[in-house]
Amino acid sequence: MLDFLNSQGTIYVSMVLGGVLGLSLYLPLLAGQLSLASPGFYALGGFVAAVLSTKTFDVEGTYPIHLVLVELVVAAAICGVLAFVVGLAALRLTGIYLALATIAFVEVLRVFTLNLELTGGAVGIFAIPQPFGTQLSYLWLAGPLLIAAALFTWRLEKVRVGRAFAAVREDELAAASMGVDTTRAKITAFVLGGVLAGLAGVIAAHQINTWSHRQASFDASIAYLAFVLIGGTRTFLGPVAGGLFLTYLPEWLREQAKHEFLPAWAAEFLRTGRFIIYGVLLAASCVFFPRGLITPELLRRIKRIGRGGSRPPGQNIRPEPEVVA
Amino acid sequence: MRLLFQKLLNGIAIGSVYALFALGYTIVFSILRVINFAHGAIFTVGAYLTYALTGAAFGRNGQLRNASLPLELNFWIALTLGALGAGVLGVIVERLAFKPLRQRGSDPLLTLVSSLGVAIATVNILQYLFGAENYSFGETLGSMPASVTLVGGELPVVIRTKQIVIFAVSMVLVVALTLLVNRTRTGKGLRAVAEDLTTARLLGIDTDRLIRLSFFISGVLGGIAGALIGLAGSFNYQFGVTIGLKGLAVIVLGGLGDIPGAVVGGLVIGVAEAFVPAEYNAYKDAVPFVVLLVVLLVRPQGLLGRAQVQKV
Repeated sequence: MLDFLNSQGTIYVSMVLGGVLGLSLYLPLLAGQLSLASPGFYALGGFVAAVLSTKTFDVEGTYPIHLVLVELVVAAAICGVLAFVVGLAALRLTGIYLALATIAFVEVLRVFTLNLELTGGAVGIFAIPQPFGTQLSYLWLAGPLLIAAALFTWRLEKVRVGRAFAAVREDELAAASMGVDTTRAKITAFVLGGVLAGLAGVIAAHQINTWSHRQASFDASIAYLAFVLIGGTRTFLGPVAGGLFLTYLPEWLREQAKHEFLPAWAAEFLRTGRFIIYGVLLAASCVFFPRGLITPELLRRIKRIGRGGSRPPGQNIRPEPEVVA
Repeated sequence: MRLLFQKLLNGIAIGSVYALFALGYTIVFSILRVINFAHGAIFTVGAYLTYALTGAAFGRNGQLRNASLPLELNFWIALTLGALGAGVLGVIVERLAFKPLRQRGSDPLLTLVSSLGVAIATVNILQYLFGAENYSFGETLGSMPASVTLVGGELPVVIRTKQIVIFAVSMVLVVALTLLVNRTRTGKGLRAVAEDLTTARLLGIDTDRLIRLSFFISGVLGGIAGALIGLAGSFNYQFGVTIGLKGLAVIVLGGLGDIPGAVVGGLVIGVAEAFVPAEYNAYKDAVPFVVLLVVLLVRPQGLLGRAQVQKV
């Protein structure tokens, strides 16, 4: 059993980080800001880890875990400051214009990391030291990060700052006239998303062992957006589920090629053509699950089943406010 | 001075293809207010279709090893048929990734993902069938000379015939499209749908047909752009991605949904790229995006667009 888990370790860690990245896009979306900048901050966080661990710290043997924690703090600080600066400028834009500006930000960042000596140029940075012996052990870092990020997001939606986000998302003008500092809310949401993506990048850089400009790609921008839109945009569980599921899907398809009963052409198709299936499923799920896989209604239904179908007195008498995009 | 002139010519040649490609984006955006992320894939299919129709053989790595069509069409006929094929693909994309979502009235953002899903599938089908290698047209364009010398002497200004062809074809199509939109009944319908889809439908305009038509035109323009860029260099299954992104910069620069704007934007970005000094050549790919960021921050409505007034 443990052997099996270890052989699958890489994909489990990637899935968990996928959940974190989904949340990093969900946070700005809470304040109504469609930002596709996550791959940029993810790449930046990874480069912080790669540069610090190979050039600054330069430890012999197993890489000590406390240095990874230092990297996480540094990456969070750098990504936070950059997100603040980018946010100040970009958040004057809305909707598709903001999305395009963040795509441009990711692309500019990519070209710079491709050409700077510090980031290893076209080949990137190799032999990033490993704090763990097995891939599966990275769950000790990625797991708590996902849980912390999910709990944080869950609580955020219940407190003053999160309420301000929701107000801006529903109607910026109305929120502003009610005294919500909309610029502050939007920038906070953007910075939170950027920091979270940067933290995921630090862990991923150690886990993957090499890091290059390819991490900041346009495809990644849309893939993370898919995590959120297909997972569900109305509860924090949506992007987490979307990230876990959509990261696992291509691997799962490849695994299926090993079944013996498949004819040779089908196995070949699953191995080399699995991204065709991924693309089709991506498009199909938009058509068939336009509100995402996990919706607030679904959660309510699950809760009701959990209570044995009976409705305790005094609850659900007032209809819960339905939030609409 | 001559160097400057040479760079300007190179920039205009590549810029006119950016313009052609971006027109395909812009015509769909002007009508549906969404970006069709499958446009880059359609562009790539245009190049592959044209290549196949000229009778050239494919490489060894795909499922269709060394396959070739049993015909050897002239480049121009192949280009026309390839472009029509790309147009049909555009209509299929609309049917699969846009129409179902529009009918359900779902969030327009979803079409970003659904059209990207179709793009991922299309591009990977190309790789699955024809492999990942680079292809190039062995085409010399008949008996035409390879290049024309505009200014002779020690520092000649030379322009490749292919560049002239690319520029000429692009400009002809731009003029044709402008005439279609501004002078015909269909064009009036397209403009009405672009102005307000619901009102246009209420007034009896067959909006579904016009949306299909806009995707067809968009596909044709994208397909031609793909074949023309393939003609100037080489192409592989991924080459739509970069231009797909640059196309975004072009249409924002020109003002989203603005036809003359897309042309100006394409030429400006092509020329801007050509003027990047040789020692900073590695940063060339960042130029369109730096331009995009600056334009978004300074003049979000684009070069030729009008500022939108926020209504309450």
